[in-house]
Amino acid sequence: MGSYAEILPQTTTPPKEIEKKEEKIDYMDLPCPIPYEEIHREALMSLKPDLFEGLRFDFIKGINQRFSLSHSVFMGPMEVPSQSAETIKIPTSHYEFGANFLDPKLMLVGRVMMDGRMNARLKCDLTENLALKANAQLTQEPHMSHGMVNFDYKGKDSRSQLQLGNGALVGASYIQSVTPHLSLGSEVFWAGQHRKSGIGFAARYNTDKMVATGQVASTGMVALSYVQKVSEKVSLASDFMYNYMSRDVTASFGYDCIFRQCRLRGKIDSNGCVASFLEERLNMGLNFILSAEIDHQKKDYKFGFGLSVGE
Amino acid sequence: MASQSRKAAITSGNDDGILARVSQSTVVYHGKKAASNTAYVTKRLVKSTGKAAWILGTTFLILAVPFFIAYDRDQQITELELQNASLLGTPAPAGK
Repeated sequence: MGSYAEILPQTTTPPKEIEKKEEKIDYMDLPCPIPYEEIHREALMSLKPDLFEGLRFDFIKGINQRFSLSHSVFMGPMEVPSQSAETIKIPTSHYEFGANFLDPKLMLVGRVMMDGRMNARLKCDLTENLALKANAQLTQEPHMSHGMVNFDYKGKDSRSQLQLGNGALVGASYIQSVTPHLSLGSEVFWAGQHRKSGIGFAARYNTDKMVATGQVASTGMVALSYVQKVSEKVSLASDFMYNYMSRDVTASFGYDCIFRQCRLRGKIDSNGCVASFLEERLNMGLNFILSAEIDHQKKDYKFGFGLSVGE
Repeated sequence: MASQSRKAAITSGNDDGILARVSQSTVVYHGKKAASNTAYVTKRLVKSTGKAAWILGTTFLILAVPFFIAYDRDQQITELELQNASLLGTPAPAGK
């Protein structure tokens, strides 16, 4: 979340500057691209809302300007992975306690679940251009704990990232602005534990009205997305996913409307899945959330409602 | 009339009777088949149309109805603000 706010102004301002210059493009002064792992950001924002089933209650209490505590309660059916075609759901409930420390230079976020799972995130700006990100997940089950450290280097018109994780995971990515609107990137990774390695390429073209991205990876994944901003309030998004290995294809289309008192996201995809997500602002710092998802093919219907207080 | 009925009685005595003969004729056979086919197709058509209507209806309910409600409410707020602004003569508050 913190990184979004930091990057957004950079991606939105450069096109305006370039418009003034018109045809003459200074290739030594290109805007900084957005990080490689976030190139689908706009499409994901409208096509992958945080859908849930059941009741959710989030409460965030700020203790002082930088420190805040969060409590969240969830009750509802949880899907259990099974071999059979129909989904099996068991009712669950859990409580999550979290602590956040937000500072312009340092961000610390911790979450503890009732069943003993813990999640910790750290983001720290070491220098003006170099940032350190770390993510750790601890569980009681053996071999399910993860840890990952990222080093992000932000250049003038490029970004590079080095990723180190447990299980001998090493990854690196680089993205470079080629023209004021187009940026190209590439990544390599090696997972020593699973003896797998891969390489991926991505391209992103963005103007202030639309964003088009494409990504291919040697794992067989092809992802294309397109987001068009229709007006100030409404944007339409579509994406296409193809996996060469498992031969599954998904295309989806969605809308994202930001009104004054609510934000509404809806999507429909080629698997027969329809979903919508409404965030209604009832009062200052009080949000009401409604989530609906219908899977016509599996006959799986999910409806959820929630409240989030604070923020 | 009387002779006709007698004839019918005689023929029925000889064979299975006119009703049976009519019901076994090819015209009736084809007619029956066509009727049952039509009924089957109509049933399937109604069933699939119903299913399509259900899917379309629920999709509309999930995707479009919330959008129209939200859009309408947004328009109302805008109108209200415009009215307030014209009544009070003050510019409408920007971020409400």
